[in-house]
Amino acid sequence: MQKIPLMLAKAGMILARDVFRGNAPIGMPICGKGTELTETLIARFENMDVQTVHVEGHPVWEEGERSFDDLLRELDGRFCKTLQNPLNVMLYDIYKAYLIKSMGGDSGRQAE
Amino acid sequence: MADKRSELKKIIMDTRTLPTLPSVINKLNSLSENDKSTIQEMARIVSSDQVLSARILRLANSPSYGFYRVSTISNAMILLGVNVVKSLALSSSIFAIMEKDNVGLWEHSLGVGVAANLIARKLGLPECEEIATAGLLHDIGKVIIKIKCSEAEKDILKVVRDRQIYVMEAEHEVIDTDHAEVGGWLSKSWFLPDKLSEPITFHHDVAKSENHRIKTAVVHFADVLISASGFGNSGDCFVPSIQKIAWDTLKLNEQLLAELVDEVEDKLVEVKNFSLEMMSD
Repeated sequence: MQKIPLMLAKAGMILARDVFRGNAPIGMPICGKGTELTETLIARFENMDVQTVHVEGHPVWEEGERSFDDLLRELDGRFCKTLQNPLNVMLYDIYKAYLIKSMGGDSGRQAE
Repeated sequence: MADKRSELKKIIMDTRTLPTLPSVINKLNSLSENDKSTIQEMARIVSSDQVLSARILRLANSPSYGFYRVSTISNAMILLGVNVVKSLALSSSIFAIMEKDNVGLWEHSLGVGVAANLIARKLGLPECEEIATAGLLHDIGKVIIKIKCSEAEKDILKVVRDRQIYVMEAEHEVIDTDHAEVGGWLSKSWFLPDKLSEPITFHHDVAKSENHRIKTAVVHFADVLISASGFGNSGDCFVPSIQKIAWDTLKLNEQLLAELVDEVEDKLVEVKNFSLEMMSD
């Protein structure tokens, strides 16, 4: 899941969280999570003062953002001392799977 | 060696320079332990602190609770519950002590508090609020060591950096005690209830916790999860080893763990925003 400014939202992205009017989580959602964005929908959000949306995967890469490989290396670093503990191995595997899922799989940008 | 430790204990526990909790919290604690006290009495004490009153009203009126316009402290206390109010009072004063210059540790503590709350709710444990507060406070010993022995703290950080070991091990080498024990001393001197002081004292050694082992196990586990996700900075670069006894106490399994990781990560997005907001205030 990634939080992006509405300006960078493109048709085809999938909402990962409900969208509310005026960006504040008050009242009724105007669009539910799981919805695929379309040009019309994005234009409507703009009219309703929505500034940011949460979308599935990791579609937008900003300058200086860590790549999937960097994140994986950091995860390895954090766990390097405790991988003799089977419970920590389990947690490591779960986190790795989570990273792969949240970065939209291996198809995300690789390190240059 | 024992001398050094007791000397250090004396320095750390020197009450004249120890950060104190606002008297409001002590009064609230003693009132809430007495079954004859009323909400009105407690509300009167809370009203004497305008910052705390404002926070409580803000929370009671926040959309996440969905009550309609709460304007008095006693109504807010009835709606939120005394425990929530107590946790709020404690955590907002801890924030004032902690935030000064250690954003990383603050984020770590906040993360552990949130994760502890999630775990407790997921497992259907009683007293989720207390467990969350214990999570928030678990590394308070580090703050005290930093305030009271800033020289020793630099040595500790140096040892951690040079030899790539856990902060806990470095603390034992340099000051012959560790942040968990110091946190325990502090919580005694603050007269915090056992259900908070035990998780603080034993979050690195769950087996020693006797009366509140479940709470201690939750805090230990929350600490592991937050370290694993790399959120904030507790000073340690490594994930602590998961203690078998904590795992067994909470009756966790792989499926539950995977769900917890998902939920914690989801929540951390909000926590990050919150912490950025607090910093910019």
